Amino acid sequence: MTSLIDHNPHSNSIGFSFSQSTNAGTKEHSFYPYTDNGGSVLGITGKDFAVLAGDTRSTSGYNINSRYVPKVFKIGGDEDGEGAHILLSVVGFAADGLALKEKLDAVVKMYKYQHGKPMSVRACAQRLSTILYGKRFFPYYVQAILAGLDEEGKGALYGYDPVGSYEREQCRAAGAASSLIMPLLDNQVNLKNQYIPGSGEGHALEARKPEPMPRETVEQLVRDAFTSAVERHIEVGDGLQMLVITANGIEEIYHPLKKD
Amino acid sequence: MTSIGTGYDLSNSVFSPDGRNFQVEYAVKAVENGGTAVGIRCKDGVVLAVEKIITSKLLKPGANRRISTVDRHVGIVSAGLAPDGRHFVSRARDEASSWRSVYKGPIPISALANRLGSYVQAYTLYSSVRPFGVTSILGGWDSEAELAVDGQVGSGPQSGAGGKVKGAKSGGPGLYMIEPSGLYWGYYGAATGKGRQAAKAELEKLDLASEKLSLHDAVKEAARIIYVAHEDNKDKEFELEMSWISSLEGPTKGRHEEVPKELLEEAERAARRALEGDDEDEEEGAKGNEQMEE
Amino acid sequence: MNHFPGTWGRPRDDVYGPYDSSYLRSTGPKAHTQSPAVTGTSVIAVKFNGGVAIAADNLASYGSLARFTDVKRLRVFGDAAVVGFSGDVSDMQYIDRLLESMDIRENYSAHGNQLNAKNLHTYLSKVLYKRRSEFNPLWNHILVAGFDGEKKPFLSSADLLGTTFSAPHLATGFGAHLAIPILRRLFPEERPIEEITKEDAIKALKECLKVLWYRDARSLDKYSLAVITQEGIEVQEDQQIEAQSWAFAETIKGYGAQTV
Repeated sequence: MTSLIDHNPHSNSIGFSFSQSTNAGTKEHSFYPYTDNGGSVLGITGKDFAVLAGDTRSTSGYNINSRYVPKVFKIGGDEDGEGAHILLSVVGFAADGLALKEKLDAVVKMYKYQHGKPMSVRACAQRLSTILYGKRFFPYYVQAILAGLDEEGKGALYGYDPVGSYEREQCRAAGAASSLIMPLLDNQVNLKNQYIPGSGEGHALEARKPEPMPRETVEQLVRDAFTSAVERHIEVGDGLQMLVITANGIEEIYHPLKKD
Repeated sequence: MTSIGTGYDLSNSVFSPDGRNFQVEYAVKAVENGGTAVGIRCKDGVVLAVEKIITSKLLKPGANRRISTVDRHVGIVSAGLAPDGRHFVSRARDEASSWRSVYKGPIPISALANRLGSYVQAYTLYSSVRPFGVTSILGGWDSEAELAVDGQVGSGPQSGAGGKVKGAKSGGPGLYMIEPSGLYWGYYGAATGKGRQAAKAELEKLDLASEKLSLHDAVKEAARIIYVAHEDNKDKEFELEMSWISSLEGPTKGRHEEVPKELLEEAERAARRALEGDDEDEEEGAKGNEQMEE
Repeated sequence: MNHFPGTWGRPRDDVYGPYDSSYLRSTGPKAHTQSPAVTGTSVIAVKFNGGVAIAADNLASYGSLARFTDVKRLRVFGDAAVVGFSGDVSDMQYIDRLLESMDIRENYSAHGNQLNAKNLHTYLSKVLYKRRSEFNPLWNHILVAGFDGEKKPFLSSADLLGTTFSAPHLATGFGAHLAIPILRRLFPEERPIEEITKEDAIKALKECLKVLWYRDARSLDKYSLAVITQEGIEVQEDQQIEAQSWAFAETIKGYGAQTV
C-alpha cells in the first residue's frame, strides 16, 4: 500500500511521476569571497605624535604578488594625501582593506564639506566602527588601526576587530606577524614584566610605569619589530612603510626589508 | 493661418477635417527657424554640417556642439529646438547601444533611422505629448569589412567556407533625414533649417546621385552651402560646425569624428572666397546691365 | 507506458529511482557561477623603458580539454591600454563588451581626454570587487598594461575577488609560479627600468611562454603578444613558440607508469 501511494502520480499537482523541486537540496557555494594577503602593521603613540607602519609585501599563498603594496593610508586628503590628518592601516584581505579605506576617506571628506571643519580622530574612530559593523554579516575581512592626534594634540591610536569592536590604545600590532610583534610591544612600550631592580622581593617587586616614548625611540622600535618579524614570518618583508603624524603634518619614511 | 480658431490645432492626436495634424505642422515651423543643417552622402563617406547661430557674445567659441556622436559610426545633427535635439540624440544612443547588446554589433544606419522614425512618429499620436521640434539628419557608415561580433575571441573556421561569401560587398554610407511627423527618407543630400531652400538648391547642383563627389570635396561643398544658406540671415553671426564619417580606408576609418581643424578652416576659407567671387560677379553683371541700358 | 503523458519518455522510477528534476527548477535560490567553464591560462607582462609588453597564449580549455585554439585573450582598449585575461572566457567576453560600451560612451564628445590604463584598472577592479561582493564573481584574473596619467608605463593586476597589486613584472595563474621567478631573475627590482629595452622585454616574455608551454598542461604554443609604447599599441596574434627543445623531457623520471 505504501508503495502504491509513493508512486501515485497524483501526488504532484500536474501529474509528473518525478517530484518538482521538493527534493532539491540547497546548493553549496563553492566560491569563497575572501583571501589573506598577509603582511603586518603596527602603531605606536607618543606625547605629540603617532606612528603607523606596515610592511609592503602582498602575498597569496606562497606567492609574493608584489613587493610594494602599501597598507597604511592617509585619510581625508587629496589624491596625493595632501591635507590629510588621519592615518588608517588595514591588514588581512587587501580588496576589503582598500574598499574600507576609500569609504572612510569619502566619509571624512564629506564631513569636512558639510561641517566646514576637519573630523576629529575620536569621531572618525567611532564612524569607522559603525562602517565595520554595518557589514557585520558579510564582514570586511580586515584588522584596522586608526591613528591621529586627539583634541589635546596627543597621539591617538585605535585598534579594531573585523566587525567594529574597538578601543583606544598606546600601541597595537595587527596582521600575520601580530603574535610576534605584540608581545614585544607589551614589553617595550607598556613595560609589561619589567620591574624596578631591588624594589622588593616577590609580590612586593614594583613594576616599571610606562611613559610616553620619544619619537626616535619609537621609530627604532618599529624598525626592530619589523626586522625581527621578517626573520620569522614568511608573509612579512620587502619594505617598511612608516607614516608619522605630528602637529606639522604627516611624514612618510620607507626602509627596505629583507626580500627573502 | 487657416488653423487658428478652428480648435483642431489645440491637441496632438486630433486631425482637422481636411486630414492635417496641425501640431506637427507647428513643429515644422520651429524647425524652419533653426540654424541650417546639411548632410552630404558620397561614395566614400558622409559629411554633416550645421550653421550655429551665435546668440550671445558671452558663449565660448567652439563650445556647445550641435553635432553629436551616437555610436562609433553614426552622427546626428538637427535643426530646430536644441533641447528636443538633445533628447532625440539620447534616444538614438540608447537605440544604438541596445542594438549592440542584442546583436553584438554596430546598428546599421537604416535600422537606426527606422527606429528613430518610429520614435518620433509616436509623439504625433497622443494628446499628452507634443511632437519633436526638430528635423534631424542622421549620417553614418555601415562597415564594408566583415565585422567581428562584439566580444568575439576566435577567428572562425580555418578550412571550408565557414559561412563566408568571398568578395561579397556590403556596407557603405547612409544618410537619412527624420522630420517631426516621423517621416524619414534616405538622401544623397539633405538640408533643413532656416536656409534649407538655398541649401537644397545648391545640393541639387552637385549631382550627388552620380557618386562622383569625393568626401574631401563634399566637406568643402558642405561648408560653402552653409555659407550660401547664411546669406539671407547675414545680420547674425554664426559658427560652422562639421563632422564626417569616411570608409574604413578613409581618414576616419569608419568612425564619426569632427572634421579636423585645418580642413575645416581651409573649407571655410574656400567658402568665403566662393561667396566673394559670386558677389563680384553680381556686381560686374549689374554694371554691365547699366551700361547696356545706356 | 501509462496514461500520464508527463511521464512518457522519462526514465522509469521503479528502475532508476525518482527523476532528479532539480535542474528544471524555476524558483528557489538563484544560481551564480561557482566555478569557471571555458578558461584561459596564464597572462604575463613586463614593464620596460618607455612601455609595457604583455603576452598570453591562444588557448581556451574546457577542463582538461583543449577546446578552442585561436582565442585572443589580449583585448585592446582604445589607443591607451591592453587588458590580458585569464580565467573564464565568457566572463572575459562580458567584460570586453562592457569596455566596448564604455569606450563608445566616452567618445560621445571629443573632449580629448581618453581613459588611460590606470583609470581602466581602477574601473575593472571595482567591477570585479562588486561582483564578488554579490557572490556572483566574474571568474577572471586580469592584467592591465598601458600608461598612467603622468605618461609613465603602468602595469597592474586585478582578480575575481577584487584584489589588486602592481609590480614591474606580473603573471597570472601558472605564470605566477613559473614566469615570475624567471622575470625576477632577468630584471631584478634593483635594476632601473631604464636599462630594460623593449627587445629585452619581448625576449623575456617569449622565454617565459616557452617554459609555460613546456610545463603547463593547459597551455598552447600559439600566443599573442602586445607591446604598448607612447607610439601606440602593436598586437601580434597567431604567434608560434620557436626553438622548442624537448630534450629535457627524457630526463624527467619518477612519475606515472615509468619503471626505469
